[in-house]
Amino acid sequence: MRRKPAGVRRLSGIGVLVAALLAATACTSGGDGATRDPDPGADIPYREGTLRVLASSELADMRGVLDQAERKTGVKVRATWTGTLDAAELIASGKADGKYDAVWLSSNDYLRLSPGVGERITNETPIMSSPVALGVRTETVRRLGWQPDEVTWSQVHQAVVAGKLTYGMTDPVRSNSGFSALISVASGLSGAQAALTDADVSRAKGKLKEFFTGQKLTSGSSGWLATAYTRRGSVDALVNYESVLLSMNRDSGTGLTVIRPKDGVVTADYPFTLLTSAPQDARESGQALTSYLRGAEAQKALTEQTFRRPVVPSVPPAAGLATDKRRELPFPGSRSVADGLLDAYENQLRRPSRTVYVLDTSGSMEGERLSRLKDALAGLTGTDESATGERFRDREEVTLMPFGSEVKKVLSHTVDPDGRAAALDAIRADARALSASGDTAIFSSLQEAYSHLGRSGSGADAFTSIVLMTDGENTTGAKAADFDGFYAKLPPDRRSTPVFPILFGDSDRAELEHIAELTGGRLFDATGGQESLDGAFEEIRGYQ
Amino acid sequence: MKRIVGIFLAVLLIGGVAAAVVAGRESQVSDTATKTVRGVIGSEKAEFFADPDVVKALDEHGFSVKTETSGSWAMEELTLDGTDFAFPSSTAPADELADKYQVPGTPPRPFYSPLVVVAHRSAAEVLARNGLAALDGESRGTLRMGPYLEAARKERTWQQLKGASAHAELTGTVFIASTDPMTSNSGALYLAAASYVDNGGKVVSDKAAVARTAPLLKQLTVVQGAQQTSSDAPFRDFISGVGNPLVLVYESQVASVLLQKQEVGDLVVLYPDTTVISDHTLVPLTDNGRELGALLTTDTRLRELAVRHGFRPQGAAAEFTTATAPYQAFLNQRLTGVRQAPVPTTEWLHAMAQRARS
Repeated sequence: MRRKPAGVRRLSGIGVLVAALLAATACTSGGDGATRDPDPGADIPYREGTLRVLASSELADMRGVLDQAERKTGVKVRATWTGTLDAAELIASGKADGKYDAVWLSSNDYLRLSPGVGERITNETPIMSSPVALGVRTETVRRLGWQPDEVTWSQVHQAVVAGKLTYGMTDPVRSNSGFSALISVASGLSGAQAALTDADVSRAKGKLKEFFTGQKLTSGSSGWLATAYTRRGSVDALVNYESVLLSMNRDSGTGLTVIRPKDGVVTADYPFTLLTSAPQDARESGQALTSYLRGAEAQKALTEQTFRRPVVPSVPPAAGLATDKRRELPFPGSRSVADGLLDAYENQLRRPSRTVYVLDTSGSMEGERLSRLKDALAGLTGTDESATGERFRDREEVTLMPFGSEVKKVLSHTVDPDGRAAALDAIRADARALSASGDTAIFSSLQEAYSHLGRSGSGADAFTSIVLMTDGENTTGAKAADFDGFYAKLPPDRRSTPVFPILFGDSDRAELEHIAELTGGRLFDATGGQESLDGAFEEIRGYQ
Repeated sequence: MKRIVGIFLAVLLIGGVAAAVVAGRESQVSDTATKTVRGVIGSEKAEFFADPDVVKALDEHGFSVKTETSGSWAMEELTLDGTDFAFPSSTAPADELADKYQVPGTPPRPFYSPLVVVAHRSAAEVLARNGLAALDGESRGTLRMGPYLEAARKERTWQQLKGASAHAELTGTVFIASTDPMTSNSGALYLAAASYVDNGGKVVSDKAAVARTAPLLKQLTVVQGAQQTSSDAPFRDFISGVGNPLVLVYESQVASVLLQKQEVGDLVVLYPDTTVISDHTLVPLTDNGRELGALLTTDTRLRELAVRHGFRPQGAAAEFTTATAPYQAFLNQRLTGVRQAPVPTTEWLHAMAQRARS
């Protein structure tokens, strides 16, 4: 058992994610009249007819169907977006009891592997399905000479090795689509004939490592991945749910050829699941809702609106969904195989990360703010004993760049698997030694971060990213316009490093949003409660 | 139809209960006020209880039944305070529950259904061509358990079977997807049927037999990886065109879809030549629960509705065969050539499931 039970840290992470997603929805949909909760992380008591649902973030596209369900059944869904693995921990620990009535994830497979979950969930009702597929640019398909319905994972692997294919994929530790892809590709490349075993995983490690050299984009959520893919423009393919890929084609004219590899896929079946702790009325509301969602009207609407596959025989799949069958690759039957695969991905198989933390340690951070920052960094660093995804990764180069009126220090450490404990201890010690003084030179410091990453570090082939944490506005050094000019002059490969700003204390949302937008990053909100800063740092890990 | 269910439930939930009471009185079948009866049921009976006609028929007898679903073997772990009945899908978990809650008498078994395997036609034809199944026409056949279990023991892959290469989805180890035998009835009954065959046609009833059958049962289970906890989910995956090509379900799940005149595509129903019958057994926890159990067993209209949902009413075989006459291409109405294996006691079934999952 590698993963810890959910702690408060995880809980707040979910709250932050909700805020970020709601903000994202607001930006992209231009106010679709969706009701937005001012403080979605807060506990709310059960209200009759309103289900508090812990849900996979991609289900945001079900709003139309759910609104109709509410009109027909009187049952309202109040969703809190979460990742599958976070949800599993939350439920297993009992922390979801009393806060949520139901859970609606892309899949319950991982959830069910967690001890203590079985007796907390009931009424699992699959609503629709969507396999994890590969969306490839049409010109790339042509260049590779692929027959879309004949492509196998081995062919994808060969194209990557030949340098002819790059792709984006979500972080398997935090997102089910990434995890499903990891299982598919591990099955495909190991030649496993049945559910994956530890032996299959170790046999395939060499090929898997090669396969992941082609991964040029990573993300904590499938929504941001799609945005980043469109923005980057230079990545050939995207691993995501078939439904997401087809929706991108419809909504943004992405023109992706959707490939379900011939040697097998892992399919999400979206089981609407009640928590046994839910009040009686909530459970009855849940039954009414699932009865409606399984009816022909909702099934027809959901396949047409979201490109997921219906689960009743009377409703045909929407146009555009291929009907030839694929082998369904089994999900690992034990937690040790599932976690072993995740751990291998995180620490051995994926491209390493180079991460720069640009940290505001100006005078205003003195006191409680600085101690929160130190705690958050210590939590993020983890220890040699930390579970997968809960410490800096093996091979990761971590740079702390505290700043006030200027960058005060550049503190770099690489987490060498042979000296892991020492490296993590050193990062934690550096974080603990931070002190507050000076003004706030946000833009000058960001420029230094880009320059630092430009100098060849421990690994040239790495995911690079910058996290900016500040509690105030820019007061000295380069101005926003200067930074814009600096960024525009960077060579294209360095421009691809995103900045993930964290809104904290008295920082200026507009200023930080601009930075996120300019660099292709994403804003995270840590203005919530005590734990929100930990949560924000934690969420960002999925993007590094 | 399901839409109507949704609307109907909604009406009930929004406060139409009063109206239902009035309707019940007007029908003059019962002069008592509507009694709300709460139960926890196996998922395969959810649509039966949600059927507006079932709701109406129960209402005419003064019952408003509220249900939630659970794996039959998981019911033991639920808190059943305020629950009037538990309705697992076989006698073994029912006996456990009856024992735990000290329910006197024999719990009623209003209806039953044999376990079957659904296959897409491509898979069924490949199995038949390789002697693992025998087809009676396009949409119905027999799964030959002996050869099938032998293939499983040898970890045969589809690629090794003649004719599979024409179908992209037929690769990997040949297995029947079943539910988690630790929590779900159909998965446990699958092990019951397989162990009966593997044990030379004798029901497993001691440690030695558990040990003898354990390697095969484990083989049938581990290849599946993660298993679902209710029979509804794998069947939905199958209908959705995803999931494993062979799925263990209750005959009632298939019959229900057929009786609702839904399109089933290239579905083939394979009756294992040795199978287990699932006796849906209602464990009454209160007097209301007891009355409901009796009603489901004796009321002609409710039996008719049970048939509509694919169940075979106990002691009224003709009611099922008449209703399913148009679907003989799929259903083996008289279970010709199907041997019924007895189910081991809970103790041994649990032991087998545990060994299989370990």
